[in-house]
Parts: sequence; structure tokens; C-alpha cells
Amino acid sequence: MINSLEATRFIAAHVTDEPIVASLGNAKYNLFLSGDRPQNFYLWNAMGLAISVGLGVAMARPQQKVIVLDGDGALLMNLNALATTAVRSPKNLIHVVWDNRQHELTGGQPTATAFRTNLAEVARGAGIEHCESVETQDAFEQAFLQAFHQPGPWFISALTNSTRSPGRPPKSPTYLKHRFRESMGVAPE
Amino acid sequence: MTAWPQRIIEQLKAYNVRFLSYVPDACGEHILRAAREDAFFDILPLAREEEGVGVVTGQYLVGERGAILMPTSGVGNSINAFASLAIPYHIPMPVFIGWRGALGEFNATQVPMGQALVPILESLNIPHFILSRPEEVEVRVNGALKLAFALEQPVAVLISTELAGWKEK
Repeated sequence: MINSLEATRFIAAHVTDEPIVASLGNAKYNLFLSGDRPQNFYLWNAMGLAISVGLGVAMARPQQKVIVLDGDGALLMNLNALATTAVRSPKNLIHVVWDNRQHELTGGQPTATAFRTNLAEVARGAGIEHCESVETQDAFEQAFLQAFHQPGPWFISALTNSTRSPGRPPKSPTYLKHRFRESMGVAPE
Repeated sequence: MTAWPQRIIEQLKAYNVRFLSYVPDACGEHILRAAREDAFFDILPLAREEEGVGVVTGQYLVGERGAILMPTSGVGNSINAFASLAIPYHIPMPVFIGWRGALGEFNATQVPMGQALVPILESLNIPHFILSRPEEVEVRVNGALKLAFALEQPVAVLISTELAGWKEK
């Protein structure tokens, strides 16, 4: 089983100015703990929409790798977005899902992946070209490096522990928006 | 006289709104048909409307402008996305909505959402403008886009059956 904070730290150690979109919950808490930077866009709500935001970024910035950090519960709420992502199949998109098989923040209620659902198979069926399912840190690192250096789209489902992350990113949505846009070289309206 | 969908397309271009995400409906298809003729636009079909709120947010975050086209039912599918992403993060988001469940509706199951449409937009403080006649399309779409990018918020444009026609059955 993978420690999601350790795996997030591996990602943070490899990016330079690549944008990272993080879902609500432990995905964004761990990203913050791994190193806050303006190129991190944290969703404080809008459960499930991290991959949709990432798709928009990837469409509008085709020359740059775009990383989405998601959770199993969040993605299960917006599974249709995998099919929409496959319609466009952005070569620069890396979608990582930390699958702890539960809604950890609300008390550990099981998600569908605790029963029969396999998210990498769902993504493959939706039409995402490169889908990996990993259960160890080594396998995760190998899959991420491949995704980072080769054309995608990539979908990596990582079986993780369910430790509550103490990370708390800045809360102001407009601050997060403005600093992200500025880091992407975008002038204010 | 220029057809109304073409007038909308011209305004979108004038505001540099290049990305169109949509769930199809008869009204939106009028606009999409015009947009497909123009290489300026990049068109993405969505499976569900709330995805569009995420996609346009992402596009805006890296300096590009997008709009969403959706049926009335799709506003119901997108409420939490507007409320928890586009509005608090201040994302300019023009939304073109084909207004079903109102004038000339044949399908009773469209009516409750058609009646709820404006109250939902008002409860979220989303400014909305109705297109009913071809001659008002230019000024209303121009004004709606101007407002969306000035306010940095979603702004809705409702396309009435008076303008786009209604389904017979």
C-alpha cells in the first residue's frame, strides 16, 4: 500500500512550473504539505470537478504537462468526466487518483472501490489511452515518471493508506485564483 | 439581416471566447452550427453540464476564455458547481441556456425545471438576460459578455422559444 503523502512528495520533487490541480480532501492537503507553490490550484469544494478543471487547463496549455490529483470518492462523483477527457485525449494530461477506498474525511465510509469497482479499468473503458494501477511506492514512481516524460493522456490509480492529512492550504478562493494565474503568466482582467 | 446565431458567434469572437463546451439542445445547436463553420472556435462535447463549469474554470486559469451551452435541465445538474467553484473563485463564465419548460412547451416534465430556472439563477446571484427577438441579440449578448468579464462571475443568457422556436411534439 502507498503512503499518499510520500507519493505526493515524489510528484512535488519532480515538477518545476507545471500546474497541479488538486481535489478537495486529502489530495489537496497532501499537496500543500508537499510544498505550497502558486502553480498549485486547490479545490475547496466542487467535489469531482478537479479532472474537469484539469482538462480545461490541458486544452488551453497544450505545451505544458498538467497534473490532476484526485480521490476515489471525488472521481466516482464525476465518472462521466473520464469519457469527456477521452473525447479530447490531451497528450499533456496526467490524472492521478489516490484510491483509499473510502470517504476518509467524513468518517471512512466505503466507496465503490471498496467493493467491486476498479478505477483504472473504468478509465480504460472510457477511452483513456494509458491507464496504470499501482500498489507500491516503487510502482507509483515508475508510473509517474513514465507519465511525466511521455505523451498521455495518463491515468494512474494508486492504492493508498487512509491517514488524515494535517495540511491546510490558503482558503481564499480569489487569492488561489490570482496567484495561480500570475504563475501561469496571465495578466489580470 | 444577420441570423441570430451568427450574431452570438460574432460577439463571442469579439470577446475572444474561443472555447465552447456544451451539452446539446435544440437552441444551442443553432449556435454550434454557426461555430463549427469558424476555425476560431474549439468545441468540446460534455457528458454532463457541471463538467463545463470545471473546464471553463481551467481554461480561464491559464488565460483563455470559454463559454458553456446547456439545456435548462443542465442548470439543475450544475448548481453546486456554480455555487462552489465559479462563484467563490470569481471565474467569468458566459452560459447560454436553451429555455425549455416555458412558452410553447409540449412536455410537462420539462416545466418544473423551466419554472425554477430564473429563481435558481437569482438565488445564486447569477445575472441573466433573455433573448426573445433577433434585433436585441447583439446588445444583450455583448452586454452579458462585458458584464461576465468585468464582474468575473457566471452570467446567463436565456434563449427563449420565441427566438429559437419550440418543439411541436
